[in-house]
Amino acid sequence: MNAARISLAIILLVTAAGIFSQWVAVHPHNLPSGNALEAPSPNHWLGTDDLGIDLWAQICHGAGVSVLVGVSAALLAGIGGSLIGMLAGYLGGIADRITMRMTDMMIILPDLPTMIVLGAFFGPGLINIILVLALFSWTGTARIIRSRILSMKQEQYIAAAQSYGAGFVHLAKTHFIPGVLPIALASIIRLTGRAIVAEASLSFLGLGDPTSKSWGLILNHAINFKGIYFMDCWKWWIMSPLVAILILVGAFAILARENETSAVSAFQK
Amino acid sequence: MGSYTIPAVQDMSIRLTKAMRLGIVGESGSGKTTLALAIMGLLEKRASVNGSIRFAGTDLQQLSEKQRNPYRWSRIALVFQNSLDVLNPVLTVHEQIWECLVRHTTLARADAHETVVSLLESVGMAAEHGPYYPHQLSGGMRQRVLLAMALSCDPEVLILDEPTNALDAVTKTDIINRIARIQQEKQFGLIVISHELQTIARLTSRISVMYRGRIVEEGPTGTMLSLPLHPYTRGLVHASPDINPWRDMWGIPEESETSEFSESSEFSGNGGCPFVSRCCQKTDICQTRVPSLEPAAPERRVACNRGGIVTLLQGTGIHKHFGVNGTSVRACQDCCIRVRSGEAAVLIGESGSGKTTLANILSGILNPDRGDIRFNGEPVVRSRASRRKKGMQIIFQDPYSAINANLGVEQAIREPLDILGQDLPEHKTASVIRALQQVGLPVDDHFRRRKCHTLSGGQRQRIAIARALVMDPAILIADEISAMLDPSTQANILRLLKGLQNHHGFAMLYITHDLAVAQKIADWVYVMNHGKIVEQGDARQIFTNPAHPYTRKLVGQHFPEITRKTGDIPSSCVKNKPYVITRNPALAKAA
Repeated sequence: MNAARISLAIILLVTAAGIFSQWVAVHPHNLPSGNALEAPSPNHWLGTDDLGIDLWAQICHGAGVSVLVGVSAALLAGIGGSLIGMLAGYLGGIADRITMRMTDMMIILPDLPTMIVLGAFFGPGLINIILVLALFSWTGTARIIRSRILSMKQEQYIAAAQSYGAGFVHLAKTHFIPGVLPIALASIIRLTGRAIVAEASLSFLGLGDPTSKSWGLILNHAINFKGIYFMDCWKWWIMSPLVAILILVGAFAILARENETSAVSAFQK
Repeated sequence: MGSYTIPAVQDMSIRLTKAMRLGIVGESGSGKTTLALAIMGLLEKRASVNGSIRFAGTDLQQLSEKQRNPYRWSRIALVFQNSLDVLNPVLTVHEQIWECLVRHTTLARADAHETVVSLLESVGMAAEHGPYYPHQLSGGMRQRVLLAMALSCDPEVLILDEPTNALDAVTKTDIINRIARIQQEKQFGLIVISHELQTIARLTSRISVMYRGRIVEEGPTGTMLSLPLHPYTRGLVHASPDINPWRDMWGIPEESETSEFSESSEFSGNGGCPFVSRCCQKTDICQTRVPSLEPAAPERRVACNRGGIVTLLQGTGIHKHFGVNGTSVRACQDCCIRVRSGEAAVLIGESGSGKTTLANILSGILNPDRGDIRFNGEPVVRSRASRRKKGMQIIFQDPYSAINANLGVEQAIREPLDILGQDLPEHKTASVIRALQQVGLPVDDHFRRRKCHTLSGGQRQRIAIARALVMDPAILIADEISAMLDPSTQANILRLLKGLQNHHGFAMLYITHDLAVAQKIADWVYVMNHGKIVEQGDARQIFTNPAHPYTRKLVGQHFPEITRKTGDIPSSCVKNKPYVITRNPALAKAA
């Protein structure tokens, strides 16, 4: 439980840093505020990049982008996947088979290469990134939710409600959504972590939104700086976005695991 | 006080042929005795009698008192309802009967004394009882004296008014047997007026049922008692432990206080069917139309605007199979089932016999392969019959699965109303509170908000029943609802359901493998085996005299002592062995 609290605190801190980046960092994230490639110092906590822009300010600003992309892609995929899973489980038959074959297809497609293709195809842009990420993440949620709905459909309270003439809307509102909420939540949290990594990967490969200044883009920029490994500057320029990603994704992973454990024990009660 | 008239008997026609045995039954106050007095012409002056009373072609109504006298006693005799003041307190038994003989027959005064003795003997009294005064006799003896007096003039018609009222079982049986034997010998017409169905069943071949001065049903005794067509007749049968000794007794519910029809409008004869306020199948027409006696079945007539007890749920030719691993399991084969309004039908069978499948098909949850299911005459397709008030409701076996454990109590019970979306929120809450009261659960806010997973199985089953009750069902299908409960909870829930049924008059199809439970509640029994309904019949017949080998086996395993007996009138068993309770073999041996 403590691990969950700590990771939640970390996530909230990072989010807050992203939202209030102008106040958290004294220097601007888009203007040079010192010499190029300065080492970390009391003035520039994480040093500066090749243009002399403060890295702490960039990390804080990028946090907002990463969290935004991660959360919205996960919410989109989680809610959409839940809805599709619910409908597939509820309707059964041909609708169920079509959706399940679709999820099979999505699962055998290798994520990253396809995302690279799609990212390149739709062009850079935050919204496109979110959509592409959501498109590749809904399948797992849909499958889990579907299986839960299938087992709920065996319960007689569903048969009873249907005998009163209940349609999908009522069943979803009263029975399905409250019933699947814990697992939907767990998979949304897990998806958030994955989405952040995926966004960073795409940006790192140069397929992200070039104006977004996300953590992946900082990495991409740093790696593309000729001769970065000839100097010491990689220690802060590459390491700081990397560690930031690690901390945030790690926090999400721990939160997801803790949440799943508590959801499972709630089911067993 | 202003004077008013009360029609005690209305529009009543009976026909008695020679040697016919007619029973007239009804609750007290239904006009039975008034009818008897009217036939005898013994009603007081302030009562007016309209219509004709014909005896062998003569209209007794047209005769003067004097002309009528020869008919009284010598041709039509009446045994009055037994009470001390019926007999003359200053004459001895012997003198009373002797006087009767002398006055109404041509016997010589001296010969009459011998006849008195033989009369006393024929009704089971010794000659020594002759000098007794009425107040020195017991109730049973007075009844015998009254009977002897009525028989003294060798009448052609004998009217018995409550001949066995307030007598003990031994005396009662003796008197009944004597009356039956004398009737056999002398072949007089017999009218038995009684509210005791056991007496009626033994003495008569036809029954007329009276309610509020009208005949509501008439027909042959046997079928009338096993398959009543009028709700009132059925109520009388259900209230009589003699007819089916195992079934719980339930009286006919009293008139509801909210009845729009006051006493006066009912008595004035324009208030519709007289039974309307106590009837479980009343419709709008019953409030305004007085039903007439119409033929309903062979030799049966019933006065009901709906033609007698209506069939609520009828399934015909139901087939259902399930494919399991390539083989086909035939869960229902050509099943026919019928549940009538206000009836408790029980479907028994071992597990795996297809009972639940049939229940699910009947309630529209499962589609049959073939077959026709009708609720109130309309086909049952999916939820058509269950998604409305006054419809069909099913209660499932497993309360843990039938109620979503994450819902609050009120939310769970209100769900059907929410889905229906007809009522205002405050009406819904009122319905929920009413249903909770009916099933005996707390109604306070705290309880209504409690999550169902904090409740026990018995409580959840009550919630499931309450959820069905808020829909005010006309028929309730209860699928093994007590199977998962402990005996005490089971007893409570069964009594609760039967009580609710008696009060609200809904029909019930109760599905169980427990024959003892079935015996307690069943009016009509269906026996199911391997997907087929192998036998059906009225509950007493199924449990005493099963016809199908499977039923015999089933009943034999549960109640070995019942099938050993050949007689089918349980009261006679009680008479022969009054102290042996044979249900428990250990006790039977000890006795």
